[in-house]
Amino acid sequence: MEEVDMDPEKASEPENVEVKSRVFTLEDDKDPGVELSGEMSEKRLQEREKISPRRITNLQRHLTTLVTNIQTAADARESMRRKELEEARKMRLELLENDMKSSQEKFEEITRGWSLTKEKVSAQELQEALNNQQLLLTSLLEDKKKVIDELQQELKLGDDHFVKDLKKQAEERDLMLERMEDQIKTLTKAYREELAQTQSVNQRETKDLLTNDTSDWEQRMKKLWDTEQARLAQRRKTVEEYEAKIHSLIFETMDKQTATKIEQNAKLQVLEREHQKTLASIIVVRLNQIKEKHELEVLTSSRVDSLQTEKKNAVAKPNNQPRKTSQSLSKDYKQSVQQYERLQKKLKQIVVADARTFEEMWATVEAEVRQLAERALEIDSLICRQHFGVAWERPPMPLAASSSSFHTERQTHRPARRAVSQLYHTEQSLQRSSQRTTMGVDAETESADVDHASMGGTATQSEGDAELEDGTLTLETVTKVMELLWEEVGFLMEDDPTLLASLEKEEQTAIKLGSLLFSFGIEEEDLPKLAHFLLKYRQQQSEQTERVCDETGESSDQAAAFDPTSDLIHPNHVLPALKSFLNQYMKSRQNSCQSSVVHTEGRGSSEDKAYWESLGNVIPDSKVQLWEEAEKTLTQYIVILTDICALDTETDSLRQQNAELRMLLQQSLNPQVS
Amino acid sequence: MQSVASPWKRMQYRAAHHRRTVEVICPTIATMPKSYYPPESNLKAPDGMRKTRTIIAEDPHWTLALVPRLSNLCLQSIASNFEENPIFEQLTPSQRRFIQERLSPSLPLHITANLISDGIYWKRCCELRWDLCDVSLYGHSWKRMFFERCLENMIELFIPDVTEPKTILDMVPHCRNYVKRLDICQLLTPVKEPQRAEEEELASEHEYEGPSVDHFDFGILLDKLTSLEELHLVYRVKHCGMNFEWKMFEMTDRDCESLAKALMSCKTLKLLRLHQSHIEDNKCRLLVKHLLDHPSLKVLDFSHNLIGDRGARGIGKLLSRGNLEVLNLCDNVIRDHGAKAIAHALSKNSTLLSLNLRLNRVRDEGGQAIGEALLKNNTLCHLHLGGNEVTAPTAVALSEALAQKNILKSINLSCNNLGEAGGKALQGAMSLNTSVTECDLRLTEVDEQIVAFINQVVWTNESLEEERRAREKTDK
Repeated sequence: MEEVDMDPEKASEPENVEVKSRVFTLEDDKDPGVELSGEMSEKRLQEREKISPRRITNLQRHLTTLVTNIQTAADARESMRRKELEEARKMRLELLENDMKSSQEKFEEITRGWSLTKEKVSAQELQEALNNQQLLLTSLLEDKKKVIDELQQELKLGDDHFVKDLKKQAEERDLMLERMEDQIKTLTKAYREELAQTQSVNQRETKDLLTNDTSDWEQRMKKLWDTEQARLAQRRKTVEEYEAKIHSLIFETMDKQTATKIEQNAKLQVLEREHQKTLASIIVVRLNQIKEKHELEVLTSSRVDSLQTEKKNAVAKPNNQPRKTSQSLSKDYKQSVQQYERLQKKLKQIVVADARTFEEMWATVEAEVRQLAERALEIDSLICRQHFGVAWERPPMPLAASSSSFHTERQTHRPARRAVSQLYHTEQSLQRSSQRTTMGVDAETESADVDHASMGGTATQSEGDAELEDGTLTLETVTKVMELLWEEVGFLMEDDPTLLASLEKEEQTAIKLGSLLFSFGIEEEDLPKLAHFLLKYRQQQSEQTERVCDETGESSDQAAAFDPTSDLIHPNHVLPALKSFLNQYMKSRQNSCQSSVVHTEGRGSSEDKAYWESLGNVIPDSKVQLWEEAEKTLTQYIVILTDICALDTETDSLRQQNAELRMLLQQSLNPQVS
Repeated sequence: MQSVASPWKRMQYRAAHHRRTVEVICPTIATMPKSYYPPESNLKAPDGMRKTRTIIAEDPHWTLALVPRLSNLCLQSIASNFEENPIFEQLTPSQRRFIQERLSPSLPLHITANLISDGIYWKRCCELRWDLCDVSLYGHSWKRMFFERCLENMIELFIPDVTEPKTILDMVPHCRNYVKRLDICQLLTPVKEPQRAEEEELASEHEYEGPSVDHFDFGILLDKLTSLEELHLVYRVKHCGMNFEWKMFEMTDRDCESLAKALMSCKTLKLLRLHQSHIEDNKCRLLVKHLLDHPSLKVLDFSHNLIGDRGARGIGKLLSRGNLEVLNLCDNVIRDHGAKAIAHALSKNSTLLSLNLRLNRVRDEGGQAIGEALLKNNTLCHLHLGGNEVTAPTAVALSEALAQKNILKSINLSCNNLGEAGGKALQGAMSLNTSVTECDLRLTEVDEQIVAFINQVVWTNESLEEERRAREKTDK
């Protein structure tokens, strides 16, 4: 009873371990042995998915039974113990009852003995009875003691059992705990395995599914692609067809359109032509109308013009105001002309300077080149003579010819240049004269006086000649000359003399001269030159005549008898003089214009080029080759020479050594001798 | 807002100011002719300054993130001043969590108990008090765990006539809404001699005039715990050592009376477990008498006591006049008469699901009676008759019930000498049965082949059952 209270859950007496072990062995044999093997076979046969839960449940069952086995064993032991206890208690109770009964009997006997002893009178008898009683009592006590001892022993045994039970229970509890832990461990392991398995299975399944799906997908995609591509190809084909169709349609329509356009254009052109025709007819009509009108206007205007000229003639005479203005304008004009002349002079000076410098340059360069050529030739001759040992012939010198040609050329050039300078001089004189003319009336009068004085005799003529040489010509003489010219050459002009007649004499001459000069193509500036030329011509003529006169002695008189006008020049000589002047003039003009150009051109001509080239090629190519060869051999020769030179030093040193050695030898010999 | 901005600004200002001062100081140091001033005085002032300033300006770990937010500061101040000014209900859930993480676990319960809901705070309280905290045993509620264990501790350490009952009663208003279960594994007896030191936890019955109660009186507590559902009680003293006395492991009559009344007053109780407490027939009858017609009691566990036939009779009465679903009378001394009474009640009962009569003395008469009762009963699923000295006749009676009715799911006949006859009877019955999923026939002297056969049947039944369950699940 007490034990139950203490730890009833585990309070169970282990009756024998054999039972327990038997139970376990049974279970073990039955459960894991048979079933696991069965499981193994099943595993192979069946699918894993079904096995694993069954395995797990089996495991659970097995393990729980393993744990609960202890409890049931304990229960069994407990019930057995209780049975035993009950039996023991029963036996004890019986034993006690028997004991009680026997002791009761004994006690009754004793009490009876006591009543007997009261009847006893004698001391001896009493003593005997007392002794008897005592014996009985002691036996009773002994019995009791025996029982008590037995019970105490039983108690002790029970206590021992209890302690043992407790120990066993503790062991069992430990075992149970161990098993529980084992169970937990194995179960967790099993669960983990199952989890891993399921996971792996799942993974495999998913993989399979994935691969299947992907393959399916790929196949389908491929199919789709193929179909799509086929469709695309078809579509392309159709597109091409349609495009071709469209193109053909477009071209057809285009053709049609162009045809219609052309037709319409033709029509349009026809229409336009008609339109233009009509327009032209209209214009013709209008022009006719305009012509008529114009004729009418001309008629009226001619009449008006005649009236106007009359008016002008009436108005021209009192018109002095414009003359003043014209004078001032002429002044301005003269000034500007002077400026122009100055500029031209400068230009000519520059040109002359350029020419001079060019010439100098030419000369110096030529001289240098010649020198060079000479040197080359000398070297050549040296080479020829010394190196090759061949007699050197001076090559045909192109220099002489060329230089001569050059000289001739120069000489040909010279007159032109002289002409230019002459021109230049004349111009200068002319300018001077013009300056003089502008200087004032005094000069005019003087010159006039001089002219008039020259009218007299040769002295005056000489003076005039001096004048000529000076290039100073009076306006008077010029005008005279001009007038003479006009008179002599006027027939060349076709001007209306009636028109001139109306004008004053001065104006007449001016106009005449202007027209004359214009017709000759001479500028107004050259007018004094012309005059001068004419005078000169006359002089020449007069000289000729004088020479003739010297021969004849008459012509001088004839010349002296000339009228003042003829004093200047003979009218008969005017025309040829003019002709010659014109010729010279034109030439000089051209020269003056082209002089600078001619110089340069003359130099740049092909002849010069050839000349220079000949100068450059004084030494021909064959010679140059020869020279190169010579150079090569010479360089080789030089190399050899340098070697020899080097060797020379060596030989020198050797010689020296030799000498020294000889000295040494001698020295060595000398002491031996000495 | 200003309060947030100001410290940050102040820091910025300080940093800037510091930089400026350093810049200003450095040139002065450089230009200062050392001969004019003693070097110590020359360097001391700037050095000191630098020390005080550099803490902020050149601290590499200083970031803006370290500046706490105003809301956090507020919450922290709330947490620190919770005792004086508890603010909790007005806060948002996240703020509540913040507070719960920072509240001191030593706060008085009258503030926190009904204010702070289940959560981190109670978890912290629990973990501070106990090392092992399995919240799954307490319905995943840390608060419930805290209060239940607090109350259990208080009751277990309650010394009659020494501890004031008021200390426990003060606790009640805080915890009555949260305590659902009381698992009390020791009840101290009164101190033997009051003048002795308190460490003497022993009590003696010899002093009759002494204690007013023998153990803690549940009468003052149970009617106040409005949500109590389970009560586990053991009248014993743990770690008694050499002070062992039988009285420590007994429930006295007075205790029994007070407990019976308290149980009657507790209308929400569903489970009563009173084990290893030396309950005899009389005490059992007293308890049962008060538990008759209890509105909610479903589970009754008087295991490991000394209940005999009379007590069993009383329990039989309770079976017929209650809604008991589970009855555990294992390790008592119920004999055939008591078993007959229970069987009689069982034959009329329609609520009991599980009956445990392990380690009793039912014998064949009682076993047969139970077997016959099972023929009439339609609810009992679990029956444990292990270690009851029943033999073949009981097995025959039970196999009749098993063969006729497919209600019993588990049956345990271990540690009974059923013999060959009983085994064969059971085999025959099991071949017809489809409901039994557990059948324990260990140590019953039954033939191994029969046991194997029965196990096979059981396993097939089990798999069938599982399939059925799975089907139900899928149907749902």
